[in-house]
Amino acid sequence: MTAVPALLTVTGATRRFGGVHALRDVDLDVAPGETHAVIGPNGAGKSTLFKLIGGQLVATAGTIGYDGQRIDRLAPHRRARRGIAIAFQDSPVFGGMTVTENVMVGAHAVTRAGPVAAVLGLPRHRREEAEIRELAARALDRAGLTAWADRPADALPLGQQRALQVARALCGGPRLLLLDEPASGLRGPERSALAGLIEQLRGEGLSILLVEHDVAFVARLADRVTVLDLGRVIARGTFAEIRTDPAVITAYLGGPP
Amino acid sequence: MTERSERHDRVFWSSLFSSRQDGIRWWWIAGALIVSAVPLLLAPGQLTTFVLLGLSAMAVVGLSLLMGYAGQVSLGQASFTAIGAYTSGLLALHHTPPLLALLAAPIVAALAAAGVGVPILRLRGHQLAFATLALQLILLSVLGDADWAGGAVGLQGLPYLSIGGFELDADLDYAYLVLAGVLLVSLIAHRLVRSRVGRGLRALATGETAAEASGVPVGAYRLLVFAVSAAFAGLAGGIYSFFLGYLAPGSFPVLLSIEYVVMAVVGGLGSIGGALLGAALITVVVQLLTTLATQPGMPSYAPSVLSYAVYALLLIAVVLFVPKGIVPTLRRSS
Repeated sequence: MTAVPALLTVTGATRRFGGVHALRDVDLDVAPGETHAVIGPNGAGKSTLFKLIGGQLVATAGTIGYDGQRIDRLAPHRRARRGIAIAFQDSPVFGGMTVTENVMVGAHAVTRAGPVAAVLGLPRHRREEAEIRELAARALDRAGLTAWADRPADALPLGQQRALQVARALCGGPRLLLLDEPASGLRGPERSALAGLIEQLRGEGLSILLVEHDVAFVARLADRVTVLDLGRVIARGTFAEIRTDPAVITAYLGGPP
Repeated sequence: MTERSERHDRVFWSSLFSSRQDGIRWWWIAGALIVSAVPLLLAPGQLTTFVLLGLSAMAVVGLSLLMGYAGQVSLGQASFTAIGAYTSGLLALHHTPPLLALLAAPIVAALAAAGVGVPILRLRGHQLAFATLALQLILLSVLGDADWAGGAVGLQGLPYLSIGGFELDADLDYAYLVLAGVLLVSLIAHRLVRSRVGRGLRALATGETAAEASGVPVGAYRLLVFAVSAAFAGLAGGIYSFFLGYLAPGSFPVLLSIEYVVMAVVGGLGSIGGALLGAALITVVVQLLTTLATQPGMPSYAPSVLSYAVYALLLIAVVLFVPKGIVPTLRRSS
C-alpha cells in the first residue's frame, strides 16, 4: 500500500455479548478512494463490526479512528456529520414520505437550520430548503432514481429501495459510505444494476466499506477484502489472494474452488 | 425592493396558491372564515363550550404532533395545561401585567417539559405513557398541598386579560383570542412539520436507526417536540386561567389528559386538521352527554361514568374501524 493515511482505521475492535465474543481483536482500514469488502459466513461478526463503525453498538475494547480522530464514543448522528453515511440492509425506507423527501433527510448531515428559523420562515431557512432540494435532486440523479422522485418511497420495488438508501446516504456528501449487504434479497438484474451504481461511485473516488455475503458481488467491486470467521480476521488481501487462502476455503467457501 | 426579493416574493405567493396545494389551502381558508363567524351566532352558554373546545384543540395539536411524529404517547398532557394556567395565574396575582403573565405560560410549560423530558423520554411505548401519567398525579398532589398555589381551593380573583389597553371582559373576546391561539399553534405546527426538522421527525417515526445514521439528532428532536407540545398546552392553560378567573387542581384531572389523547386519535395522529376536528367532535359529544347525564333522575356519578365509557367506546371504535383517524382516512380516500 502507499503511505497515504487511511480514512478509517479500526484497531483491536472487540465486542462481547455476555460471555460470547461476537468480535475479537479485529483490525481493518479503508484507504481514501478504496472499496474494501468484509466477508464471512453467518455469525462471523460482520454486522457487529458494521454497527461498531456506524455507532449503533459500542465496542467492548479497541478504537475506531476516522480522518485522524477517534470516533468510537460519538453518537451515530455525529459520525454522520463527519461524513460517514450508511445504507442499511434491513432498515426500511422512511414510510409515508416520497422518494425525494427520503433523500432530503440525508442532507441533515450537512445542514443546520433549526426549528425557529423554520417556524418564522426566515430567509436562512428558505435558502437552505432550496439547497437541500438541489442536493437531493443530484443524489437521485446519481442513483438513477429521478423518474421515481415523487412516488411514495414504500411503494418502490426492493432494488429501487436499496438504491434509495444509497441516494439518501449520498445526499449528505459523505467521504465514507458503509453498505450493509446491499445485494441480499435482490434478483439478478437488480443486483447488477446496484453493482453498476457502486462501481460508478467508486469511479468517482468515494471510499466504500462493503459488508457482503455475495462472493461474485465482492469479486467485481472490492479493491481489498477482509475475511472474518467466528469474530476474528482469518485473511486479508485482494480477492484473488483470499480466494486461494486455505483458511478461507475451509471456513467460508466450503471447499476448493 | 431588489430584483431578487421581488422574484422571491413571486415564488412565495405562487407557492401559496400552487396547483397541488390549492384544494387543501382553500379548505383551510374557507374553514377559518366559517369558524370565525361562529362565536357571533352562539348563546352565552355555548360560547363557554366554544372557548373550552378551542383550548382543547390547542393542546391536541401539540399532542398529535408528539404522538404522530415523535411516536411518543403522553397520558399526562394536561399537566402542561395546569403548569401554564398556574404560571399565568400566579404571575397575574403577583401584579405582573396580564399579557406578560400569559406569554410566560407556554415558556414555563416548555421548560418544565424539557426538564422532565431528559430522563423520561428514554422510556418507550406504554412505559412512557405511564411515566407521564405519574407526573400528572404528582403535580396534582403537589398543587393540592402547596400553600403558595392556594392548595385544594386554588387561585381566585384573577384579573381579566388586557391587550394594549383593551380589556377582554366578555366571553366573545375570549372566543376570538382562542381562535387566534388555535391559528397560531396550527401555523407553528404546520411550518415545523414541513421543515428540515419535520422531515427528520417523520423519518425517525418509521426508521430510528436509519434516521440517526443520516444525521438526525433523534434525542434532541424528541425533546423538542415534547417541549413544543407542552408549550401549546401551556398557552391553552394560560388563556384558560384568564377566561375563568379562578383555578384549582381539580380543573386539570387525568380525565382531561385522556380526553386529549382520544381527540388526537379520533381526528388522526400527525394531522393538524385531524386534531382540530377531533377536539370539536369530542367536545360536542361530551357536551350532549353531560346534558343527558344531568337530567333529573340521573345518579350523581352519571356524568363521569358516561364520559369515561364514551371515551373508551370511541377509542375502540376508531382503532378498529379507522385506525389512522378520521382526517387521514378521508384524505387518502379522496
